[in-house]
Amino acid sequence: MKSLRSMLFVVLMSLSVVASSQTEGPKSEAQRSFDYLKSLAGSWEGYLTTFPQADTKTELMHATLRVTSMGTALVHEMRGDGPDDPITMLYMDGDRLLLTHYCDAGNRPRMVGKMLPDGKTVEFDFLDVAGSTQHGHMQHAVFTVIDANHHTEDWTYLMPGDKPVRAHLELQRTK
Amino acid sequence: MDREWNDSQPIYRQLRDRVVAMILDGVLREGDPLPSVRTVAAEYRVNPLTVLKGYQQLVDEQLVESRRGRGMFINAGARELLLLGERQKFLAEQWPRIHATIQRLGLTPQELLEAATPPSSNAKQEPPKP
Repeated sequence: MKSLRSMLFVVLMSLSVVASSQTEGPKSEAQRSFDYLKSLAGSWEGYLTTFPQADTKTELMHATLRVTSMGTALVHEMRGDGPDDPITMLYMDGDRLLLTHYCDAGNRPRMVGKMLPDGKTVEFDFLDVAGSTQHGHMQHAVFTVIDANHHTEDWTYLMPGDKPVRAHLELQRTK
Repeated sequence: MDREWNDSQPIYRQLRDRVVAMILDGVLREGDPLPSVRTVAAEYRVNPLTVLKGYQQLVDEQLVESRRGRGMFINAGARELLLLGERQKFLAEQWPRIHATIQRLGLTPQELLEAATPPSSNAKQEPPKP
């Protein structure tokens, strides 16, 4: 009798797991992109190249990416010594992958992300912005994973008058 | 340049304003190179993208030009262009308020000129005391 109860318990648990996995269904492309970006969690350093500019590379830059809020958000911080280091939050909004950039220009643009056909690049296009755009705003971001320890980031900022300036970061994992 | 920043506007705008002040004061002259993005970012502990935005603003205002592989340079006529713009800005934005205050207080041109004269000049004009 006792073994029958145990067997019934195991069968019911198995059915429950199967039902649960069938309810979740396959992950959306946006969710897969988000999970892919979460693999970047860690500390990074590298050089930044700016366009249009005559400089080739700047001083060593630092960035951190951290998964938080029970895996629902990825926090990106560009780290320097100054008060102008921006924070970016990446998260799922329904079936969309969104990015909100907290800019030192005082605004918060949102961008929608999608995985490019190469399967390595997630590109974010401007969606909307909260706050004043008097001093311009971040418009576009691209994350390209090269391997587990290397990735690049491209950030495009639209100046007043819609003239773009771009920063390209080549980063190597330090932790 | 001062290393302190305030919260009234983005740092790149403050950086732009400081370069403008240096051009108006003659510290930076036509043809002079601007320090590189790298140097300014390191020296003033700001994000390089912030410096780039400040410099791009100066390029957009035709005060500075980017020479490929060589850096950024103060344009010929930059000071005149700035003076023209700053004078127009003063007359349009600040002067109406100042003028209204002068009218309200009944200040005469003579009083204003005397107040504008440096103290050392005033001292020279005063008759010697017995």
